[in-house]
Amino acid sequence: MGKLKPQPTVSEETVAEISAIFSSDRPWVVVVWDDPINLMTYVTYVFMTVFGFSKEKATELMLQVHNEGKSIVAKGAREEMERYVQRLHEYGLWATIAREDQI
Amino acid sequence: MTPTEGFLRHGSDSYIANFAETEREVLVNLVQQVIEILAERHDHANEDPLAAMVGITTHDSPPDDEVLLRLLPNAYQDGVDAAEFRRYTESTLRDKKRAHAMSIRMMLLSATDGDVVLDFENAQAWLGGLNDVRLALGVRLKVDQNSPEDLELLAPDDPMRAVYAVYTWLGWLQETLVEALMDEASS
Repeated sequence: MGKLKPQPTVSEETVAEISAIFSSDRPWVVVVWDDPINLMTYVTYVFMTVFGFSKEKATELMLQVHNEGKSIVAKGAREEMERYVQRLHEYGLWATIAREDQI
Repeated sequence: MTPTEGFLRHGSDSYIANFAETEREVLVNLVQQVIEILAERHDHANEDPLAAMVGITTHDSPPDDEVLLRLLPNAYQDGVDAAEFRRYTESTLRDKKRAHAMSIRMMLLSATDGDVVLDFENAQAWLGGLNDVRLALGVRLKVDQNSPEDLELLAPDDPMRAVYAVYTWLGWLQETLVEALMDEASS
């Protein structure tokens, strides 16, 4: 008898999963984490400056960071998210990059 | 000389503050310490001039010191991705932070009668630089959400009480600059 040959069942779902793994446009996100040092007004201002958000939108995201411990502030291509995180680090915010589905 | 009243907007692109001599000394000393702690992380082992030229650092592991780690944080929670990102970006981040601190230092040392006049670019350097000082002090003071209450428990002669006072003063100063900038942003 020969070796048992593996017989993967390739459903449409599997195909979709596999192409997602190889896809370069799976979205990445920038996560800003709460920390006790950065001032609330400062974080709001940095969001307005780095992302061009309105004061209302920036305040809303800042409050989400403050109350929930973190907030997703941007979503898109990896390189773009990395540039944002670099700028946030220049301002001293605690920010990381992650896959959208791993947050 | 009277203590500073913080930053005020002047015209469309100027932010002005006046500092007393002792305030200038304290600020210069603080930013100098940020410059020094960042210098501890220099690329002493970088043998490759091309790598140095394009800003690739020899560091791919996070700093051991918790202040340096807060100033130069990991960009990914995953260790491998964080190391890769750090290798290509940390020296640029260090240079920026150093430039912010140097800008504050230079402007304070050359301030005639304690007057500091910032344009928009300088203001961004001051915001980042003041924040780095606050991050450094905050980490060393172990600031957390309960800090104002914890401070009440310190003895009146505990030196940390004075450090905490400097820390809160810096926060107030930074906030006056943020508010002056926001005025403009919303008008």
